[in-house]
Amino acid sequence: MTITTVQTVETIVTRVRDRASSNAVALRHKDFGVWQEITWAEYWNQVEIVAHALLALGVETGDRVAVHSENRPEWLYADLGIVAVRGVTVGLYPTNPASEVAYLLADSGAKILIAEDQEQVDKALEVLGECPALERIVYLEPRGIRGRYDDPRLLHWDEFLFIGVEHRGEHPGAVAKRMAETRPSDVMTLIYTSGTTGPPKGVMLTVANVEFAVEVLVKSGGFTSPPPNERDQTLSYLPLCHVAERAFTVWFNSAAGVQVNFAESIETVQANLREVQPTILFGVPRIWEKVLAQVNIKLDSASWFKRTTTRFWLRVADRVGDALVRTGGTHTAATRVLYTVGWIFCFRALRERLGMRRVRYASSGAAPIAPDVLKFFMGIGVRMHEVYGMSENTAIATANRPGRVKLGTVGEPHDAIELKIDEATGEILTRHPGTFAGYWGNPRATADVLDDDGWLHTGDVGEWVDGTHVRITDRMKDIIITAGGKNVAPSEMENALKASPYIKEAVVIGDRRPYLTALIGIELDVVGEWARRRRLPYTTYRDLSDKPEVRELVQGIVNGVNEQFNRVEQIKLFAFLPKELDHEDGELTPTQKVKRSAIARLFEDLVEGMYRR
Amino acid sequence: MTTLSRDSDIPTGRSRRVRGRPLLYTSYGQDMALLDTTAKRIWTLVLVLAAFLLSGMLADRSLEVLAGAFVLAIGAIGLNIVSGYAGQISLGHAFFVAIGAYTAAALSGPVDGRNLGFGLTEIWIWLPAAGLLAALAGVLVAPLAVRLRGLYLAVVTLGLVFLGEHIFKEWDHLTGGPGVGRQSAVPTLFGARLDVDGPLGTREQSLYTLMLIMLIIFAVAARNLARSRIGRAFSAIRDRDIAAEVIGVPITRYKVLAFGISSFYAGCAGGLLYVMTGFVEPGSFSLLLSVQFIAMVLIGGVATVSGSIMGALFIVLIQPLTRALPGFVPFISGDTTVTPNVFQVETVLYGLLIVLFLVFEPRGLFGIWIRVRNYWKSWPFSY
Repeated sequence: MTITTVQTVETIVTRVRDRASSNAVALRHKDFGVWQEITWAEYWNQVEIVAHALLALGVETGDRVAVHSENRPEWLYADLGIVAVRGVTVGLYPTNPASEVAYLLADSGAKILIAEDQEQVDKALEVLGECPALERIVYLEPRGIRGRYDDPRLLHWDEFLFIGVEHRGEHPGAVAKRMAETRPSDVMTLIYTSGTTGPPKGVMLTVANVEFAVEVLVKSGGFTSPPPNERDQTLSYLPLCHVAERAFTVWFNSAAGVQVNFAESIETVQANLREVQPTILFGVPRIWEKVLAQVNIKLDSASWFKRTTTRFWLRVADRVGDALVRTGGTHTAATRVLYTVGWIFCFRALRERLGMRRVRYASSGAAPIAPDVLKFFMGIGVRMHEVYGMSENTAIATANRPGRVKLGTVGEPHDAIELKIDEATGEILTRHPGTFAGYWGNPRATADVLDDDGWLHTGDVGEWVDGTHVRITDRMKDIIITAGGKNVAPSEMENALKASPYIKEAVVIGDRRPYLTALIGIELDVVGEWARRRRLPYTTYRDLSDKPEVRELVQGIVNGVNEQFNRVEQIKLFAFLPKELDHEDGELTPTQKVKRSAIARLFEDLVEGMYRR
Repeated sequence: MTTLSRDSDIPTGRSRRVRGRPLLYTSYGQDMALLDTTAKRIWTLVLVLAAFLLSGMLADRSLEVLAGAFVLAIGAIGLNIVSGYAGQISLGHAFFVAIGAYTAAALSGPVDGRNLGFGLTEIWIWLPAAGLLAALAGVLVAPLAVRLRGLYLAVVTLGLVFLGEHIFKEWDHLTGGPGVGRQSAVPTLFGARLDVDGPLGTREQSLYTLMLIMLIIFAVAARNLARSRIGRAFSAIRDRDIAAEVIGVPITRYKVLAFGISSFYAGCAGGLLYVMTGFVEPGSFSLLLSVQFIAMVLIGGVATVSGSIMGALFIVLIQPLTRALPGFVPFISGDTTVTPNVFQVETVLYGLLIVLFLVFEPRGLFGIWIRVRNYWKSWPFSY
């Protein structure tokens, strides 16, 4: 006689369920000017209701459910509810235009769409014909929808929950039963790549992948040291459909009990940061660059005394930062004294204003960042770490560990994973249980990046620094080979340019060309402020870019950057982008990365102009 | 169905603060709290303790001056409620102060004395009575305010002062008549007289403590009023009464309420004001007293309680300075019969200060404090 024991698989859902007896705060969201608190008990209750509602709507194992919303508690209820019924969560970027929504819904074959408001519902309704699998659209905000739209597929969130409550009453154990059937090989989410080169591909992450990520990144403190706990606060403001924000919001929350605070919107992040004062803060380079630019703008417009003293202390911070870069992030006696004095006069207040007073761990990832930006934050006492990972390996690759930071590198490989650099191509390869199950419905693309030995080809070119840390040169596809045959990594130069507060976008061009050129977009706020102080009148973005004074300013920055590189790698000419790049216009990916092919196509005459002289 | 989003069995709306995050409010209560930060709590406590300890450190003469300032501050807070918070200009504050002063004096005066008296010397009887009677007068006047605005209201309330002055000068049996006056209210608390040297210290020390406690009670009450539904209604009426009415604020009711509460404060202040001197004369309730209150409100800071207190202290404490003027400036005399004398200088100074403050710092002393605080609050930036 054999006894079969049903081994329940741990998932992010069971972790929340196991905390359900706690009345501690799990989530906070700002409503009517007050941060409303949601306890673990309420959180689990909502997740359960959502799961029941999904069962009632006929979601079967492996069915895809799309979520198209800004960050808010309902995103998490939906995500966990979907995983509870063994469905697959598909996240859509709130900025996705209708055409991309059509592609993502059709490609994933989502059965149900959970859309935030009228804006997102409109996008879905517009492209309904292209998504035959879509059966239901659940909307969270009824404004502009209820009483106006009569599509039978529309369902308000409250009605959706009501269905869930009814279903729970009739079939009390249904969700628990479905959860118990969860297998580690279940795909639990599709994370669409941002698609800088082609159409986005859906990365299938399984329960086992995410559990491995929870083990490495959260439980054993792959990022933070000590590992995150219930007293930590995070601010959730980057799109949750991205693997990084999902890790820092959903996985940190469910696995370590970190309290998640939802920012009201991307515009209010600064104010929300100040209120929440998170202890763990993740940002993409654009965010850190923007904060640095804001500091400079505000300082320029501060009164003489404040400006002078703060500039002095920022120079001190620079020295402290230099020392920290040398030591890897540990203070020496001298820098500690220097920092303490500066803390009293400047850094304490500055960090409070930036919302980073209590940050014990800050990290930058998802795109390359200029070391100078990181050094600024290290200098003012924000412990900054660059990390590296991608959707395909569940964000598990390398991280700068507290106290062992090497600026300019993405850090050391995590324990318990394999990482090597291909000797022939310089490509970074990873192999560990977090490697994805494949691209959704695209085995050919999967075969391109996943070899027979289980190595994931990341597409990033890197090198070892001191044998322990990894430095990333560039994306393989972005490497420029000039007409002279020289290999140039454009992102390094671009980031050096973007480290200047005046420059928002920089695209270095030169593949199969005689010399390097760049397309540069100015930072409207900063340059505008700069022009205002010089009494330089301007009307639009384009008008400002065309000013000879602005060209002179940017030429100075370009010259400064050129000095850091050898002669063949210098930017000979640059042109200003005539408009601010935008996701809607197809120039940026949802994660604000530049689509090089689109840029090259859209601004062809500008580029050609620079090579014609 | 709308309540479904949150299960009603689970307790919500917890009011616990999140440690170390002074700007993270998890309930409206926290957002509206009077002392919302630890620093404010500590400093307020220090300030109050220091004020109490002063009674043992200062000379009796200084204590008397300060006690007078505290009472004037109560009156100024009252004027600030109607003029600062609710925006109804009132020049008639002296009238309500007078009603309070005579109510208190009459109630606590000797039954068989020269003037009207009822022999009720217990402070908890005559003080509320003084306030209530003044409030009644305020409520009676208020309907005028409902019909009038701005300058017209100012003129009407100005009329009150002259009316009052005339009545009090003629009603000898109550007031003793001009130049003669009568004994003011006698403060007795549960049989113990507070205006004589006693177990609490000298006469001045016990009166100082009494006035300080009164001020704290009235000030806290006013702060709480200002952040309540009533206070918000007042501000709405001040900022634009038509808009306030459109959003559903019953204007008549709130204007009457504003005058009532303001007059209650004035009446109480009046009852306490002459306890120190022990003597009240009908000529004191002239336009000058009203102007003094307006000066306190404008110099201290419109629509702030702490500003009213600062204004009262400022006005009272410049008096010793002006009184010392003849010693430095020979042509100014300390004698009332000679021109120019210090009292004229004082009057000119009030006017001058009002003009200067309105031009250069419309938010008054409180505005200066806010400016200083914001300078450091916005460190290391300017905004």
